[in-house]
Amino acid sequence: MTAIVSVGGLRKRYGDIEAVAGVTFDVKQGEIFALLGPNGAGKTTTVEILEGLRQADEGTATVAGVDVRKDPSGVKERIGVQLQSSTFPENFLAKEIVELFALFYKRKVDAMALLRAVGLEDRAKQKSEKLSGGQRQRLSIAVAMVNEPQVLFLDEPTTGLDPQARRNLWDLIRAIRRRGTTVFLTTHYLDEAEVLCDRVAIMDAGKIIALDSPRSLIASLLARGFSKPVAQQQANLEDVFLDLTGHELRED
Amino acid sequence: MGQVLGYTRMLIRAYMRDWVALFFGFFFPLIFMSLFGVLNFGSFGHVSLGVADEAGNADSAQLVAAFSKIETLQVHKGSRGDELAAMDKGDRDIVLVIPSDFRIAPVQPGQTAPTMTMYQSSARAEQSAVGASIVQQFIDQLSFAVTRTAPVVTVKREEVAGRNLKYVDFLTPGIVGMTIMQLGIASVMFTFVVDRQRGVIRRIMATPISRRAYMAAHVLERLILAVLQVGVLIAVAVLLFKVQIVGSMAVLLLLTVLGSALFLCLGFATSAFVTTEQQAPAVMQLVTLPQMFLSGVFFSRDVVPSFLKPISDYLPLTFLNDALRQVATAGASLVDIRGDLVGLVLWAAVTFVLAFRFFRLET
Repeated sequence: MTAIVSVGGLRKRYGDIEAVAGVTFDVKQGEIFALLGPNGAGKTTTVEILEGLRQADEGTATVAGVDVRKDPSGVKERIGVQLQSSTFPENFLAKEIVELFALFYKRKVDAMALLRAVGLEDRAKQKSEKLSGGQRQRLSIAVAMVNEPQVLFLDEPTTGLDPQARRNLWDLIRAIRRRGTTVFLTTHYLDEAEVLCDRVAIMDAGKIIALDSPRSLIASLLARGFSKPVAQQQANLEDVFLDLTGHELRED
Repeated sequence: MGQVLGYTRMLIRAYMRDWVALFFGFFFPLIFMSLFGVLNFGSFGHVSLGVADEAGNADSAQLVAAFSKIETLQVHKGSRGDELAAMDKGDRDIVLVIPSDFRIAPVQPGQTAPTMTMYQSSARAEQSAVGASIVQQFIDQLSFAVTRTAPVVTVKREEVAGRNLKYVDFLTPGIVGMTIMQLGIASVMFTFVVDRQRGVIRRIMATPISRRAYMAAHVLERLILAVLQVGVLIAVAVLLFKVQIVGSMAVLLLLTVLGSALFLCLGFATSAFVTTEQQAPAVMQLVTLPQMFLSGVFFSRDVVPSFLKPISDYLPLTFLNDALRQVATAGASLVDIRGDLVGLVLWAAVTFVLAFRFFRLET
């Protein structure tokens, strides 16, 4: 498969700290790819360089065939983004937020269809700041889809959501991928990466230290002789929680 | 262009849903006007002038008779002591003492001109300030007429001086100026600082919209809102408070747009140094409060203490208020207010350069 995101020798320094210290990887067209790592590993900086929001000090990055350094606004035309800790302007209804962002791409969209796709049709006339955390994440995904992007960047999309809302969002992300959109996400939830992603890159201290499918990464760890001290349980506490409270989405 | 106009329209629609902003933008100035206007805080039916004629000659009688003809002045005659006592009781706004050597004639070489003493009541600062300026103007004209160094009284100035200026007529342009200032600065300080801090702008900048288009829509939105708000304010003033707007509405519109542009630039320039929502109100007060009191919003700038005068003279709101007031109450033309226009344009230019240099959409 062809690479839709291609990164080579990327570096970004803030003062004394090298946030991104020489990163090279490819994301294949149509896959769900995750960048994993502890807080401060350099995930967000890497993603923001790919989104055309920051300039790298060194290295190359091509997204959807466009050189990010040379044409950041060309990249912005072709991608959808959901930023970590950003909010929408106040006093706009959910439907208007979708229309507003379509206007930023000089596009006309069927806002209701996009809201329907993320299950927010009945919230169309609600102010975006009145939505729950999970609803807001889904709205931001609807907004990220207004320009029919080739790559969707999601920065920690499930942080702060309850288990039901997380699962709902996973289903949404899988549905987006089925429509042919490549999904690039960052997370520090490893279970999320394991069930959702085709391939993951693990980042620490500005460097990529592993890159493969979750299954292969686990297999290679086991091959090195790793074993957990406790016997594997057939269920965990989250399974108990979901069994008791159901999979149905809650609105807070 | 379509994008800018579309965005502007959406911003205005969102603004109209913001009750807090609507309250401060539309109702707050009206409350001010009601408080000062309806309660007749600065009741302005007339200026009470006490005259102590210590000359008692034909020239002084002529002067007093001339004062009596000015509609705004209510002239009372009496001794210096009686008139000053009346002022203490609040019955006189100004007491004018005509010295015994007074006469209407050129001063001979080697002689000093007779000195008239004018007492102004600080309790009724507004009336005494207006009255004093009328008296001063009248005496200036009289001496011009006598010494022939300048043309005799012009008809127009007589009309202005003779018009019965109500306090609310005087107040309305001040409130309009204050509203333009508050709106310009607050709409930048609060929305931009908050949007910057909450990542709203960052999210928008992840789309292909240009910074120029983004800024253009926000500035255009605020200019349109300023015109709407000034329109509502003037309509209420005219319909409810029977305010007379003597001058041209087109000139008032021009001043509204120019003033808004200036205070938006000032807002952008100052909010460049404000990083959090919590700092915004304090910085806003720092910029607007001095101008509320030193730029002649509620009272004539004649009551500003003399050591603050040099500051007061050059504040941006001073130029705006002076221009608005001259147009609204005296029917001044663009040529008449050219000094104020120069001041406004200079301030707008300086603040624009500062805003351009220091204001950033993202931190």
